[in-house]
Amino acid sequence: MPRLVLDQVSVRYDGQTRPAVERASIEVASGDFVVLVGRSGCGKSSLLNVAAGLVTPTGGSVTVDGTPIIAPGADRAVVFQNDALFPWLTARENVAFALRLRGVRPSERERRADALLALVKLEGSGDRRIWELSGGMRQRVGLARALAAEPQFLLLDEPLGALDALTRERMQTTLLDIWKESGVGVLMVTHGIEEALVLGTRIVVLAPGPGRVVRAFETGFSRRYLAGEPLRDIKADSVFAAARGELTDAIFEGEAA
Amino acid sequence: MTFSSYAERRGRKLDEVHVLSVPLSRPRRTRVIVSARVVSAVTILVVLAVWALSARLQLVSPVFLPSPVAVWSKFIAVASDGFVDATLLQHIAASLWRVFAALVAAVLVGVPVGLAIGISTVGRGIFDPLLEFLRPIPPLAYLPLIIIWFGIGEPSKILVITIAMLAPVALSTASGVRGVSQERINAALSLGATGGQVVWHVILPSALPSILTGLRIALGAGWSTLVAAELVAATRGLGFMIQSAAQFLVTDVVVMGILVIAAIAFALEFTIRRIERALVPWAGRE
Repeated sequence: MPRLVLDQVSVRYDGQTRPAVERASIEVASGDFVVLVGRSGCGKSSLLNVAAGLVTPTGGSVTVDGTPIIAPGADRAVVFQNDALFPWLTARENVAFALRLRGVRPSERERRADALLALVKLEGSGDRRIWELSGGMRQRVGLARALAAEPQFLLLDEPLGALDALTRERMQTTLLDIWKESGVGVLMVTHGIEEALVLGTRIVVLAPGPGRVVRAFETGFSRRYLAGEPLRDIKADSVFAAARGELTDAIFEGEAA
Repeated sequence: MTFSSYAERRGRKLDEVHVLSVPLSRPRRTRVIVSARVVSAVTILVVLAVWALSARLQLVSPVFLPSPVAVWSKFIAVASDGFVDATLLQHIAASLWRVFAALVAAVLVGVPVGLAIGISTVGRGIFDPLLEFLRPIPPLAYLPLIIIWFGIGEPSKILVITIAMLAPVALSTASGVRGVSQERINAALSLGATGGQVVWHVILPSALPSILTGLRIALGAGWSTLVAAELVAATRGLGFMIQSAAQFLVTDVVVMGILVIAAIAFALEFTIRRIERALVPWAGRE
C-alpha cells in the first residue's frame, strides 16, 4: 500500500529569515483522507506543495514508499483553488490532458474522460467550454482531470475555497464519493473547520510562526457518511458539535485573544 | 434639502400629496447617443467633400492634388491597363507576397526568440539587448547595409520587412509567456508533463492571444517598411508604383496607391481581429 511520508520537513523561502514550515511530519497512506487546517501563515499550502514536488524542502525528507520525491509527478495529482483549467480546451479535453501527455489514443482518451466526467456528475458537459461552466462545475472538471492521471495520491489545495456555501456542501459529498470509488490517499488543505471534520479521517492542525504541527485528530465522520448516514444527520450529531469545539480550540490555541 | 423646501421652491403647497411622489433626483433626459462609427463616416465624407471642392474650384493645381474623380478613374484604368508594365492587381500581389513572406519569417524566428526570452534568463540575456538594439532603428537606415550584403534582389526586400516585424512579434510573445499563470504550469507538471510538454501544451496556447496581438502590430510595421523596401530595384509592388509615379508627377496614381495601401492595411487588420476571435475565444473571459 503506497505511503506518502513527509518526515521532519522544513521550508524556508529565499530572502526570508523565518522558515515557513519547521520540522513538520505528515503521513498519508492510500485510503487515508488527511486534512491540514490552521490559521493563515501556518504553512499548510507550503506543505502540500512539498508533497507535490513543486517546492523543494530545505530540511527533512519527502518519500513515496521510501523513494525520495524530487519533482512533480502524475502519481500525486494536484487540484488548485483556482481550478487552473486550460481555457483553450473543452471540458473533456481538459480531463483527458494527462492521457494525451502519455500518448493514449484519442478514442480511448475520450472514453475514459467521459467516464470520469460521469463520476464527478458532469455527464453530457464534455463539449462545453471552460468559461461556460460555473465555479462548482469547473472544480469538478479539475477533480476529474486529476483523477485521469490515475494518481496514488490526490493533493487538494483549498479546492472548495472559492465556492459558495451550497455548492461547497454538494462538492464535499462528491469528494467523498470519489475518494471511496478510487481508493486514493488524499491530502487536503482547507480553512473550513466543519469541512475538515466532514471529510477527514485524520486532521492535522498547524500553527503559524513558523509553521509546525501542533495536534492531530483521528475522526470517523467521513466513514459514517460512506456507511450510508446522511451528511446532514452527521453534522447535527452532538458528537460532531463537540469535535468542532475541540478542533476550533486546537486551531486558536496559543493565539492572543 | 428637505421635502418642504423642495416643494416650496416649486411653488406648491406641501399638503398636495403628489408633491411627495416627485423623486428628489429626477432621471435626466437621455442624451442622443451618436455612435463613433457615424462620426467617423461623417468625418470621411467631410474630408472627401473638401477634397472634391478644392479640386473643382481649382484652388490647388491638379499636379499637387488631383480630384477624387480623377483618382477613381485612374484606379479603374490602372486596374485594367496597368501602370509601368504591371496591372494594379500584380502590384498588389507583389507587395502582399513580400509582406506575408516576411510575416512567416518573422513568426518562425520571433516566436521561438520570444519563448526563449520569456522562459529562460539566459535567453533573455542573449536576445533582449539585440532586440532593443534593432527596435528603434528605422528600416531606411539599415536598408543600404542589407543591399550591400544581400544584393538588390527579392530576399533583401523581404529581409528588411522581416527585421521590422521581428521585435513586435518576439516582444509580444515574451510578454505573453511571462503572463502565463504559475498555477496552470504547476497543474500540468503535477499531471505528469515534461518541460517540453509544458511549453507546447500550456505556455504556447496561454501566450497565443498576446502572440496574435504581436502579429497585428507587426503587420502594421511591415506595411510601413514596404515602401522603403520597394524603393530599390523593384519592378512591381505598390511602393514601387507610387515611387515611379511620383518621379513623373503622375499625382493621381500616387494618391490612388496611398489609398489602396490604406484599404489593404485596414482589411488585414480586420481579418486578424476575426482570426483572433475564432482562435482565442477565451481571451478576456477567464
